Amino acid sequence: MEALVVVAHPCDDSFAHAATVRAVAGLEAAGHSTTLVDLYAEKFVAAMSREEHHAYLRDAPTLDTDAPTLDDQAIRHGELLSAAEIVVFVYPTWWSGLPAMLKGWIDRVLVPGVAFTFDARGKLRPGLTQVKHIVGISTYGSPRIYVAAINDNGRRTITRAFRVSCGLRTRTTWMGLYAIDTRTDAERTAFLDRIELKMSSI
Amino acid sequence: MRVLVIYCHPDPGSFVAAARDRALAGLAAAAHDVRCTDLYSDGFQPEMTATERRTHAVPGLASDLQPYADDLQWAEALVLIYPTWWSAQPAVLKGWIDRVWVAGVAWELPEGKQVLRPLLTNVRRIVVVTTHGSSKFVNAVEGEAGKRTMTRSIRTMCSKRTRTTWCALYGVDDSTPQRRAKFLDRVERTMAKL
Repeated sequence: MEALVVVAHPCDDSFAHAATVRAVAGLEAAGHSTTLVDLYAEKFVAAMSREEHHAYLRDAPTLDTDAPTLDDQAIRHGELLSAAEIVVFVYPTWWSGLPAMLKGWIDRVLVPGVAFTFDARGKLRPGLTQVKHIVGISTYGSPRIYVAAINDNGRRTITRAFRVSCGLRTRTTWMGLYAIDTRTDAERTAFLDRIELKMSSI
Repeated sequence: MRVLVIYCHPDPGSFVAAARDRALAGLAAAAHDVRCTDLYSDGFQPEMTATERRTHAVPGLASDLQPYADDLQWAEALVLIYPTWWSAQPAVLKGWIDRVWVAGVAWELPEGKQVLRPLLTNVRRIVVVTTHGSSKFVNAVEGEAGKRTMTRSIRTMCSKRTRTTWCALYGVDDSTPQRRAKFLDRVERTMAKL
């Protein structure tokens, strides 16, 4: 299958990047054709612009063109997403949610024509029905019980809000390393091993 | 009360901008001391940098962000006005949380402790004014991630007794002018009563 891995962490020597390397290795071992998008390395711009917002709201009175005025990078990422059957997100959870960089990617890439379409009666239809599997890999500063009390809002955004744009049968897999600051090297390594194993069995 | 309004929308002509104007009108009517930040017009850069990440345990923040931290430490009430996109805050607002609510501003980790100590105990009121494209039902199914980020996650760094108010217009994409007008009235009323 076609796999798209999206990672958002500002430091290229981060644990999230180590997790990304292992996820890609697992996917490739299973024979999936994998594309990696490293948002910080690509200098992705997280802020949705006014023009993009106008394009998003196709019925906006100020909109004078049918084609969304998106930049080339966002268009390319949209094409990658439209071709992906496996989508993997790797990120650190900050303030219970996605880092702004990853949220910006969702804001700007999941636009009409990519994430959803409208049918003849104007009803919203999911646009990413080819996605068979969504995977989230995240690290948390807080222990699991605290994450549960606050709510894992990043996870919800991905496994619910994003999933609404996918197929009814799209599966989700979540792998979290909680209380990362107190984890031993052995525990971190075990988590990385688990990622590669899991990805190779998708 | 000292009220910090954080407004986040790319379009100055948007409905959310109208909601901000009515919120400010309500606050003015109640004679509150108000500071208003427009993150988009400031050109706020939401992406946390590698340097910020590497030093995140050290108190302090990027020097150009100091005014944002000063406002936070000044405020008794926080009013956040933004559209809900994909069940959560727009990236620019999330970036304001990621980059401004840092060690020495929002929290500290006392020596030998495992649990963060809140520093924004000056904040005892959080009000969110937001719009959702989809219905209340769809948002409930999706888990209201943005709501919980505001009423739970960031609230943990404020006063223990912080009250939260959720002022949201659901289904704004299909809303009638009447519903929108009613919502704007509600925004102004809520602020006037703060």
